[in-house]
Amino acid sequence: MASSDKLPFDGVKIADFSWVWVGPTSTKYLADHGATVVRVESLSRPDILYSLGPFKDREAGPTRTHAFSDFNTSKLGLTLNLKTPEATEIAKRLISWTDVYVESFTPGTMAGLGIDYEVARKVNPSIIMVSTCLMGQSGPASAFAGYGFHAGAVAGFYDITGWPDLAPDGPWVAYTDVVTPRILSAIIMAAVDHKRRTGQGQYIDASQLEMGLQFLAPQILDYTANDHLTTRNGNRSNFAAPQGAYSCAGDDQWCAIAVESDEEWAGLVKVLGNPGLATDGRFATNSGRLQNHDEIDAQISQWTAAKTPQEVMRLCQAEGVPAGVVQRSSDLFEDPQLAHRRMFPQLDDPQVGPVPHTGHLFDIRGYDHGPRSPSPLIGQHNEQILKEFLGMTDDEITEAVIAGALE
Amino acid sequence: MLSPYTVLDLTDEKGELASMVLGDLGADVIKVEPPGGSPSRAMGPYLEHAPEAERSLQYFAFNRNKRSVTLDLETETGRTALFSLVEKADFIIESAQAGAMAGKGLGFEAMRQANPRIVYVAITPFGQDGPHANFPASDLTVAAMGGPMSLQGVPDRAPVRLSLPQAWLHASVEASVGALTAHALMLRTNQAQFVDVSAQTAMIWTMMQGMSAHSVQGRDFNRSGNTIQLGTVNLRLVHECADGYVVIFPIGGALFKLVEWCVQDGIIPEDWLTAEDWPMYHFKVLQQQPVAHTIDEVLETVSAYVRDKTKNQLLEHGLAEGVSMAPVSNMEDLTRFRHLEERGYWLTAPLPNGSEAQVPGIFANLTGTPLSVRRWPPKLGEHTDEVLGDLLGLSSSQIADASGHGPG
Repeated sequence: MASSDKLPFDGVKIADFSWVWVGPTSTKYLADHGATVVRVESLSRPDILYSLGPFKDREAGPTRTHAFSDFNTSKLGLTLNLKTPEATEIAKRLISWTDVYVESFTPGTMAGLGIDYEVARKVNPSIIMVSTCLMGQSGPASAFAGYGFHAGAVAGFYDITGWPDLAPDGPWVAYTDVVTPRILSAIIMAAVDHKRRTGQGQYIDASQLEMGLQFLAPQILDYTANDHLTTRNGNRSNFAAPQGAYSCAGDDQWCAIAVESDEEWAGLVKVLGNPGLATDGRFATNSGRLQNHDEIDAQISQWTAAKTPQEVMRLCQAEGVPAGVVQRSSDLFEDPQLAHRRMFPQLDDPQVGPVPHTGHLFDIRGYDHGPRSPSPLIGQHNEQILKEFLGMTDDEITEAVIAGALE
Repeated sequence: MLSPYTVLDLTDEKGELASMVLGDLGADVIKVEPPGGSPSRAMGPYLEHAPEAERSLQYFAFNRNKRSVTLDLETETGRTALFSLVEKADFIIESAQAGAMAGKGLGFEAMRQANPRIVYVAITPFGQDGPHANFPASDLTVAAMGGPMSLQGVPDRAPVRLSLPQAWLHASVEASVGALTAHALMLRTNQAQFVDVSAQTAMIWTMMQGMSAHSVQGRDFNRSGNTIQLGTVNLRLVHECADGYVVIFPIGGALFKLVEWCVQDGIIPEDWLTAEDWPMYHFKVLQQQPVAHTIDEVLETVSAYVRDKTKNQLLEHGLAEGVSMAPVSNMEDLTRFRHLEERGYWLTAPLPNGSEAQVPGIFANLTGTPLSVRRWPPKLGEHTDEVLGDLLGLSSSQIADASGHGPG
């Protein structure tokens, strides 16, 4: 761990009123790298992630879900029941304390609670306020509430995932939830840098659908410019062959192989040990291989069937052919490359004990970083936040407790 | 927001979105291309399906808000020009094979000599070092090694990736976050920073609650078709409707409404309404408590409700009633989605063949520093004279040497 005065976002303050995925994972980057992030929750409206697994040892319970704890590291926990006027007043003090105010509710929710941007900038003229929701703050579908599954379907990610002869499969995860936090986090970091230099804050309306669509830009253009519709095609590429996941020895074990050039094809032919493939004119060019994909797949599958996926990967890699084991979570924990990068540091969670957490996905050389502390328990840091950050007296805190503001 | 900063983009398709994010956020991005152009210029899809120069839609998609300079880094004048640009830059982003830039004398150590405050970002499939650092890779193999493929697809066939490449895009947006984090660190330490971005780890993040599953619950999640896995229950999300498919997450208040509508449509008898506390139904299922109607019955009922209705009917009806029923859009549906049009999301881009096309707009709406597309993707070397002449003060013959275009 670097010394505390060298953390990138040390001194940056964030009031995180967001929940579920996008908001919390966006602010996690800043929290892990030094910002003081206050995660606001309410017992009256617990985060939906508390009912989503995986649960520690498969025993369900709000504080046992890794879905919450992995994505709220390095944050402080404050409880506020914003349905009470006393909590609204505390929220305003938090808003005047903070540099960045993040929320991810259905448009209009914060206005209803009396803490929208108009109110926020009155109490803190240089505040950066971020609202992120599926469809954005305006437009006829702005009230469309839901998850990244819904936005992923509207964007087109479902239509392009699965097999052409079956119903769309969809990404396993709520896909826009994994596209948008990185873009949103970059926007917040840029806004923080701008504020540092100019003192200017602003309001940011970040639609998860609109950010997500950036990942389909070439295919959107292919339609709008060429009138060409792309759809799901298993693992095949529109441009190069052969590509696929091939069944290997063992229980449901697979290795992906992808040939993108004539050189890689020559390498694969060598690996397969079938000289007939090299001399067959149908396979000599990429377009020929695209046309005869089924036949090539049969040859590859025959070769992979009796080998472990690791063996297939090793033999292909040795000839310069891109190949990779289809890894499950259990494989990731055995992956020597990920061990080398210290991908899964253990954090001692106060509820469930030591658990591997997701470390940083990029590595800044010479800066030994990672999640700084486990995710907060609900309301764990109430006293510290109310007293030290907001300057509340013991009497004020007692009144807030009596009013039910801290539930 | 990032207008004081200059970014040198030396990437190919593996990193072009990284510098585009910084460019969209206001930075001056100079795309440094070899004399033959970025490899992404030779990647499909192509405009009018013609694999020719300046026709790559892959390139067009991820290179707005950039200027293009050609530099021949095999020559001394080209390298000297690059170092002169580095002196004026704040960020370098590259996506060459691990160690390749250093091997040419153009790695981090050389760059920090030229500019001791530079932020150098390197994007590779697996990272700069380690046992797999030199593995050849493609989008498919990174999706496999990163884990998300293991979760996707139907159980009786192979696991699947998304059919369109995503790995380099995830790595790229991760790199833009890494760049800005390292820049904040540079401001504190006054020292150049090196950021090592691995596409594999960027893909691991896309497994979300699936990535650490084994270490937490003692077993993996496995692919189960188009369902969401909640504890021990698999809830089917995709339902066939009259003109395609819709995604419905039937829990809570939405499920109660769906049950009401099914009763109104005569799909199920009225006694369903009171048979369950529907908003709490999914909790009971999760906790394996006895229920009046099984989850399979409930999902069949939802399927029956949507079967004779169109995607748009379901979307509009759901919007009015607060039940999210999301159409599974193809690109045609998407470009006609009224909401995006009314938000002014789409932009009209001038294409290299003189025509125009609708393209995705800016990332977000900002009140203080609005984002915009200031430049459409550049032609190869379009700004070589401007950048090398005006910024570095090179003569026209020096420019010709450095850019690899010979005398005259």
